[in-house]
Amino acid sequence: MSEILKRMSSAVIQGQRDDTRQMARDAIEGGCSAEEVLYQGLMPGMDHVSGEFKAGRMFVPEVMRSARAMLNAMEVIKPIMVKNGIRMAGKVVLGTVQGDLHDIGKNLVGMMCEGAGFEIHDLGADVAPGQFVEAVKAFQPDIVGMSALLTTTMRAMEGTVQALVEAGVRDRVKVMIGGAPVTQAFADRIGVDGYAPDAAAAADKAKHLIAASR
Amino acid sequence: MRTNYRVNAGVRFEVFSRDQLEELFNGVLHVMDKIGLDVHHEEARNILADAGAHVEDKRVRIPTHLVKRALATAPRSFTIYARDGNPAHDIQIGPGRAHFGPGPTPPNFIDVETLERRPYVRDDARIVATVVDALPNIDFCESLGTISDVPTDLAAAYEFATMFPRTTKPIVAWSFGWDDSNDIHQIAITEAGGQEAFERRPNYIHYCEPLSPLVSTFEAVDKVIFAARHAVPVIFTTCALAGGTAPVTPAGIIIQTTAESFMGLVLSQIIRPGLPFFTGGVLSVMDMSAMILSYGAPELSLMMAGVTELAHYCGLPLWQTGGCTDSKCLDEQASLEGSLSVFFSALSGGDLCHDVGYTESGMTGSILQTVMMDDAIGYSRRITRGIEVTPDTLAVDVIRDVGPDGHYLYHDHTMQHFKTEFWYPNLCDRHNYEEWAAEGKQTMRARVIDRTREILATHNPSPVRPETAEAITAIMAAAENRVKNKP
Repeated sequence: MSEILKRMSSAVIQGQRDDTRQMARDAIEGGCSAEEVLYQGLMPGMDHVSGEFKAGRMFVPEVMRSARAMLNAMEVIKPIMVKNGIRMAGKVVLGTVQGDLHDIGKNLVGMMCEGAGFEIHDLGADVAPGQFVEAVKAFQPDIVGMSALLTTTMRAMEGTVQALVEAGVRDRVKVMIGGAPVTQAFADRIGVDGYAPDAAAAADKAKHLIAASR
Repeated sequence: MRTNYRVNAGVRFEVFSRDQLEELFNGVLHVMDKIGLDVHHEEARNILADAGAHVEDKRVRIPTHLVKRALATAPRSFTIYARDGNPAHDIQIGPGRAHFGPGPTPPNFIDVETLERRPYVRDDARIVATVVDALPNIDFCESLGTISDVPTDLAAAYEFATMFPRTTKPIVAWSFGWDDSNDIHQIAITEAGGQEAFERRPNYIHYCEPLSPLVSTFEAVDKVIFAARHAVPVIFTTCALAGGTAPVTPAGIIIQTTAESFMGLVLSQIIRPGLPFFTGGVLSVMDMSAMILSYGAPELSLMMAGVTELAHYCGLPLWQTGGCTDSKCLDEQASLEGSLSVFFSALSGGDLCHDVGYTESGMTGSILQTVMMDDAIGYSRRITRGIEVTPDTLAVDVIRDVGPDGHYLYHDHTMQHFKTEFWYPNLCDRHNYEEWAAEGKQTMRARVIDRTREILATHNPSPVRPETAEAITAIMAAAENRVKNKP
């Protein structure tokens, strides 16, 4: 039993995206619990990856493959965990705000959050406030993440927060923002819960916000 | 053999062979014709479709004959004029001429007094323009920041309004859209003496930035249409991250970014054949560890040299990048990365090299970096000027005159040439140890800071005409009203 979990860890580390789904199925059939698959198979692998990334020994394209390998296995175990009432790391709705098509930074945040075990609903770029509101209602996320590259489109963050308030869903979520012109001071001014200067810090901040709210 | 005896070829290096350039050019044509780009601008799509492009929803595919027609009408050589008629500040675009200037829009600036990083404010545009005007090796002006202490929509217009009276070197302007493009243009044509006079002697260039991969955003396209309709020389280029928003390979990113520029080229040449157009951009690597677009990577210089060669092969001038760094302050890293990229840019002969003064991967503008790079550009230009070979410079007769055991100090030949053959730095110190110690053992960093402050205390740029000063006040007042009344 621990053999397959070990193999799963190393499959995550090596980013074997096509293998982990079957491995998870095999593990469950072999008598592992979904929690064991997650906490003794997938997460130790991903923790290793994130340590290596922080140390500069692994790089973004490798981390992305590892995150994907983990997510593919999550597809198998998630329904079981939900059925057993086990709490997941959290859900994040993510998007580049209205009027802005720059999304490479937002994509990096998505990847780092996936690597941290979050479920990501990426709304893409040029996302209107109403779309964020709809997504909050539909996906019930823990966190809404917004990105902008331009000083002009950065203003749409404030409008989106306002839309969440008006729709009566602002209190259900933590709101995080980021992007080149965005600062902690701006985050404080528009009353959001978190700001991060880069994608890795965003994932850490998201974990921190969830831990604090639970 | 006396062939080419009097030709002064300068110092050159090449990245590509002619065969490789053809391969790259064919790659660009393939991307434009077979893959196409998304153009987020309905009017532009209609203009392109009427000219023969294939339009399907937002996707626009440009057949090769349209690209070649645009290349045939866009000029390789032209002049951007100093607003006050000072020919020393004109920019003559043409083969073998590399020009340098700062870059646009970082959110932060290194304060010249406190030397701390802080948000960019309106007065910084005055500082940058004044210093640029005084530096001998900086040819055009950009602001090194986005002004944070004016209404957001007017940051670009205030920037131009602030810089224009403080430098006669041509400004490369940017804007958010049509309205502020017009504010800027009205200021420039007032000084030029009207639209017609401006068309004869354009005094600024407009910068538009579409998006990688392969997206022509509404704003970028709207601005290129504005520029074409008003005869403003235009730059239409992306900032691509190899491995992130463009192929990881240098050849791949060069093809993609050139195709991205060429969408603007084709559109501008349909609207106004012969409009001066710059291809190029910022081509660099996405650091796969730090997750930044690196402004200090050797790949930036290499990719920029490659894309310069492709542009020149196509007969277009290029928007180059150099003099920039990932360092957070004025230190050895900033000097190393900035100087090497300046040198490579000078070697490649890229026509307008921008971002001289970008630090922290484009997050912070530093006029101190620009001042330091002014010396690096002078150094590089001395090298790229090359070695003139004529009977006079071969100096065989002079060698005979002086003979063994003589000296050249008193010879007329030395007197005649030493001021032009030798380049003297403004900042690099060549004194002996005792003199250097007596002057307080100043470091390069200290000399850069002193020189910057000295320029600001003493330099008086040639003023704009009184009617331009009045126009600036009126245009900005109207702009304030426009944004105030905006919903």
